[in-house]
Amino acid sequence: MAPAHVVLTSGFSRRYTNGIKEFDIDATNVRGLLKAMDQLYPGLGEILEEETAIAIDGELHEVVYTQVIRPGCEIFFIPRIEGG
Amino acid sequence: MLTKTMNPEKALKLVGSSPVRPDGVPKVTGLAVYGADTSLPGMLWGKILRSPHAHARIKSINTSKAAALPGVKAVITGADLPDHKFEYVGPERVAVNYWHMTRNIMAREKALYEGHAIAAVAATSPAIAQHALELIEVDYEILPHVIDVDAAMQADAPLLFEDMIMRGVEPAPTKPSNVSKRIEFAVGDIEAGFAQADEIVEMTFKTAAVHQGYIEPHSCVARFGADGQCELWSASQGHFVVRAYTAKLLGMDIGSLLVHPAEIGGGFGGKTVVYVEPVAVALSKKTGHPVKIMMSREDVLKATGPTSGSSMKVKIGVTKDGKIVAADSTFNFQAGAFPGSPVMNACMCAYACYEIPNSRAVGFDVVSNRPKSAAYRAPGSPISAFGVESVLDVLAKKIGMDPLELRLKNAVSAGSPTAWGPKHAHDGFKETIEALMKHPAYKTPLGKNQGRGVASGFWFNGGGESAATVHVNEDGSVVIATGSMDVGGSRASMALMAAETLGIPYEKVRSTVADTASIGYNHVTGGSRVTYATGIAVVDACKKVIDDMRSRAAMTWDVSIDDVIWEDGHARVADKSTGDHAPLSLAAIAAKRAVTGGPIVAEAAVNAGGMAPGFGTQFFDVEVDPETGHTKILRVVAAQDVGRAIHHDYCEGQIQGGVVQGIGWALNEEYIYDKEGRLSNAGFLDYRIPVASDLPHIDVVMVEVPNPNHPFGAKGVGEVNIVPPMAAIANAIEQATGKRMTSLPMSPPKVLAAIDGE
Repeated sequence: MAPAHVVLTSGFSRRYTNGIKEFDIDATNVRGLLKAMDQLYPGLGEILEEETAIAIDGELHEVVYTQVIRPGCEIFFIPRIEGG
Repeated sequence: MLTKTMNPEKALKLVGSSPVRPDGVPKVTGLAVYGADTSLPGMLWGKILRSPHAHARIKSINTSKAAALPGVKAVITGADLPDHKFEYVGPERVAVNYWHMTRNIMAREKALYEGHAIAAVAATSPAIAQHALELIEVDYEILPHVIDVDAAMQADAPLLFEDMIMRGVEPAPTKPSNVSKRIEFAVGDIEAGFAQADEIVEMTFKTAAVHQGYIEPHSCVARFGADGQCELWSASQGHFVVRAYTAKLLGMDIGSLLVHPAEIGGGFGGKTVVYVEPVAVALSKKTGHPVKIMMSREDVLKATGPTSGSSMKVKIGVTKDGKIVAADSTFNFQAGAFPGSPVMNACMCAYACYEIPNSRAVGFDVVSNRPKSAAYRAPGSPISAFGVESVLDVLAKKIGMDPLELRLKNAVSAGSPTAWGPKHAHDGFKETIEALMKHPAYKTPLGKNQGRGVASGFWFNGGGESAATVHVNEDGSVVIATGSMDVGGSRASMALMAAETLGIPYEKVRSTVADTASIGYNHVTGGSRVTYATGIAVVDACKKVIDDMRSRAAMTWDVSIDDVIWEDGHARVADKSTGDHAPLSLAAIAAKRAVTGGPIVAEAAVNAGGMAPGFGTQFFDVEVDPETGHTKILRVVAAQDVGRAIHHDYCEGQIQGGVVQGIGWALNEEYIYDKEGRLSNAGFLDYRIPVASDLPHIDVVMVEVPNPNHPFGAKGVGEVNIVPPMAAIANAIEQATGKRMTSLPMSPPKVLAAIDGE
């Protein structure tokens, strides 16, 4: 199974991952992805869960554990947006 | 990759039609109950004392004379409300700092803008409450103030918070400032990009703060019982969020506060926050009586959130054949008295319509002595679009290219990169440009002093948390309930989706909005999210009900549920070999509900993702009077990708409404402050929103590129329509007069000064 390619914003990577922006993660859903990120950087999973939205191959989603991660997909954690 | 079009397997019968809205008759006959219409036995009247100063230290507040006035039942100040820890909670763009929020509800150490709440009273009549306010003695130390965003960013500007250190900069500054944070989104190599350009244009712009202009002022009634249980009647864009904010600010359990959704007289983003609700609850708790608070129009303009005013610098480079190769912009946004402008959205939306390989957008969130900004229709996007879309117009002229063609040449589609990282996942933008290119009016000749301007816009659209219930009544009628406030006709669109799914007439569905104790959490009606997210919840609940009815039909026929299908409002056997059973209608199944298991009801809850963004392109024809500088709008054609229109007329109305608000932003609306920092035009006579006589017919072209993630293909329609008008009108004025307007509003005196070369 091809891992998901995960990209963080510059701000997040500067603050939480020593500037490392890109990761290849094996996960089948968002819960597994957050858990893997948290194992790499303890505490990061909760921060991503609370502060970001997630784009999976460009599709924007709220962070929801059950959201499916397809093999080889591209994932961006981006700031959450609120409208009017 | 999700892309392109979705072809429904069968034609839709109801979705896309335009039936009468369920709330129409009560609204036109005056029976609808808005926030100010609720009255309770023993109710008191609350009023709020507001600061006459733009910036002042509050040395002391003496309420004793007010409290002693006969008829006064309670007086409160900020000291009567719980204080909160200084911390930003939640995602960066929407981070809430309750230390700030409680100080906006009622000032503590300082008054930070004219109109800032200082104290509140509850009395037996409005006149007594007003008299009591006049008896409250506040000792102010008046401080220097700052209104303009550029002035607030100066090193010697008066500081609203003496300890505010700009976030988002490393190393952190050592000195405080009025800049709350800096953000940046960048891709590619900016210098290399501009080196490829044949034409580069750099311009500066200013936009005025504008109010959402909802007709109904904020109002509420609170009743705090002796048992600690509280009820609140409030007009808002989200009664669950009103509940959450109010409970948090007052230290209550969420479950102890029940919020009833009143009808709402407009919100446009401005009613996603609380102002009077916590004050009314605190006064009710202190007096033991229900308390009503109603803002005046002056209160609304002086103390509730407009969107940000701004200054910005936009630089874009293109090749001579029209390829945008680089863009670099800086956006300075007024947040008002507390941090939290939509500058991040502005940065993310600025170039979102275009494939630009090298781009940077830098934003600054700046406090000044004005009311705290609040969301307003596609918050942030119209402001950055004014600069970007104006510069693109100049560039199109420089390279001799039609402005629509320039946009089409660079337009994003599914798979295009964005400046903030992920690729676009949906089409819809090119289709709006092409719709205008094909529009017969686009080639119509213009007369003397007339001009035509185009502009485009992007907005994310929202998803998120929603819940819905469906009840099938014993006569076959259906009640649906959601927790999404109906601002723009959502009860009708929910009923349409339910009726289409169940296969019954629209008139058989009663569509309601339930209170916070009667349904699961629904996030605000904002961000163009309700038709999408709450619509998915409604359809999911209907599908559960269908499965239940299939099960009951199977029981009746002694067959397996797998042998029963649902079609056109009836349960039918899938294969006649299981028996020759006449179809059972929804009403027939409902009539047997008791013996088949009891009430037929289902609830569905979602945290919906997969929403598709909104794209819009508009052109405006204007005529400018060279004697007065007055700009008359002659024609508007607004193309927007709506995914699929659920209620055709209300989609059209949303688009027309956004255009009208954009016209007001472009031509007239602004806050005018005197030298003491007091607002001089706090009323609709002097703060001029457009009226019907200002407007031509607004021709709407709905482009439908369905979103396959929604059961009917819907995309949000409520916001992107306000993004293009300001730039499109500026571009039209330039064509009519030869003068480029870079400051909003483009009011007659400013246009006349430009024409006269001043």
